[in-house]
Amino acid sequence: MTDALAAEWLKLRTARSTGYCLGVVALFIALMAVLAWYAAHLWDGLPPARRSSMELSSLPELACWVDYLVMGVLGVLAITSEYSSGMIRATLTVLPRRRTVLAAKAGVVAVVALAAGEVTGFTVLAAARLIVGDRPIHGQEPHVGRIVTAGVVVMVFALLGLSLGTLLRSTAGAIVVVAGLWHIVPVLVQLVPEPWGDRLGSLLPAALVEEIAGSGGQNSIYGKGLPPAAAVAVLVAYAVVPLGAAGIALARRDVP
Amino acid sequence: MTVIRARAEAGIGPPLRSAGGPPYGSVGTVIEVTKLTKRYGDGLAVDRLSFQVRPGHVTGFLGPNGAGKSTTMRVLLGLAAPTSGAALVTGRRYADLRFPMHEVGALLDANAAYGGRTAFDHLRCLARTNRIGPARVAAVLEQVGLAGVGRKRISGFSLGMRQRLGIAAALLGDPGVLMLDEPVNGLDPEGVRWIRELLRALAGEGRTVLVSSHLMSEMELTADRLVIIGRGRLIADTTVRELAERFQRGVLVRTGRGPELARALEAAGASVLVETDGALSVKGLDPVRIGDLAARHAIPVHEVTPRTASLEEAYLALTAGSLEYGAAR
Repeated sequence: MTDALAAEWLKLRTARSTGYCLGVVALFIALMAVLAWYAAHLWDGLPPARRSSMELSSLPELACWVDYLVMGVLGVLAITSEYSSGMIRATLTVLPRRRTVLAAKAGVVAVVALAAGEVTGFTVLAAARLIVGDRPIHGQEPHVGRIVTAGVVVMVFALLGLSLGTLLRSTAGAIVVVAGLWHIVPVLVQLVPEPWGDRLGSLLPAALVEEIAGSGGQNSIYGKGLPPAAAVAVLVAYAVVPLGAAGIALARRDVP
Repeated sequence: MTVIRARAEAGIGPPLRSAGGPPYGSVGTVIEVTKLTKRYGDGLAVDRLSFQVRPGHVTGFLGPNGAGKSTTMRVLLGLAAPTSGAALVTGRRYADLRFPMHEVGALLDANAAYGGRTAFDHLRCLARTNRIGPARVAAVLEQVGLAGVGRKRISGFSLGMRQRLGIAAALLGDPGVLMLDEPVNGLDPEGVRWIRELLRALAGEGRTVLVSSHLMSEMELTADRLVIIGRGRLIADTTVRELAERFQRGVLVRTGRGPELARALEAAGASVLVETDGALSVKGLDPVRIGDLAARHAIPVHEVTPRTASLEEAYLALTAGSLEYGAAR
């Protein structure tokens, strides 16, 4: 397993897409700093009476929300780039224990995505604190617990991407599903009649951050929200169930 | 096993092997395919195929396009599961090998590499899974003539360079068994010759070498043994020499005293045909006997030429009935 992990780490490090994905993450961290500066500027220009009505999304969580998609794509590419190039044949020839290969990929993808998510969350938090200073803008209260959870959800998205890529063996197909869960399904769910719209919405991965923090359902597009323990279980299921299915599929199917 | 691994880890290439028996495995069968069947939907890619490959020879694995060569190799390498039957390498299923690179080196598809990586990184990614260090990676790059482009991205490589890279990957673990699918595709004449010599040298060291091709002319120069398949079935399991003899078309003899020599040859048991230009086409006697007989009868002979059908013709004759994608005739 150590050998497989080391090899997969080497692969991830030497894939061009890894650099691009991390570049996008860095870009959005910078963009959040710009947004914080703009908000501070706007706040300063408002008459004091209207300042209390100004609200801005939690910037660390917004940045992590972007990471969901970007690291989801990183997870997809970790396996589909092997299918599209044919490298998978070499990979599974030098290491015929296929579940070990998938576990090693999951390990390195999870570590990179978790690191990216937490670094994003806390860098943006620090930058926003520095820029916004002591201006009491709504939405900028530091929720450390929620930022930690958002970083974990980034990791779950990456694992989901890896699993979907393994199951579908297609970059485009897997990215469409990841993007769908990220933003398209949340929009569609609002069209579903109640109570099902709420019920489905509260199961979506991006809804889980607030639900785990115990603040789900307030002002949320994701519906009324699950209790924290149930939300944790759903989050774990998002990571584990598709990965298990991917492991079975990879072990059973012939390599194309 | 441990010895081989330690050597590969140390980054030292295969040592020169002196005569004194093959150093790899037993002298018996190394690759063993038994009643192998592989079905895809309605089609049979491989149909009750059985053959063995022994060490110390280059074995050519021949057949027209679509005959099932690649499928058989994919099953041998554990990439595809057999519908029935077995395909074993050194007596085991490939999937059961712990560090397969040290036992089997494979080249399936030269394009099967992620183009964004450098040649060196590509090989390192493969090598690391079997505990092979960077020094060995550098050594095989040198061996296949890619040392100068090791730091270049594979996307810029020609097909010939990719073939060399694929062969480098197969050699990384210094394996006793090599399985190469169409390794000469895309190589220039110099490259074709290089691989021919490499394969013969590897077999000479006692390794088992299985090379697939649809070109008889290439295998004629490279292989000692031939496994010929068509439509997933075994057509011939033979040697290059046997195949040539099987399609022997007699000996051409020219002499000024044709009728006299013909009588002498027929008396010795040969069948003789007189060709339009007066030359004799002799079957049933080899050139040595013919020469001796002519000398005994004091008949001057101008030419004695054994006429073999080219192996290409022999191969086409064998596989004619099993062309998957033949041109209409």
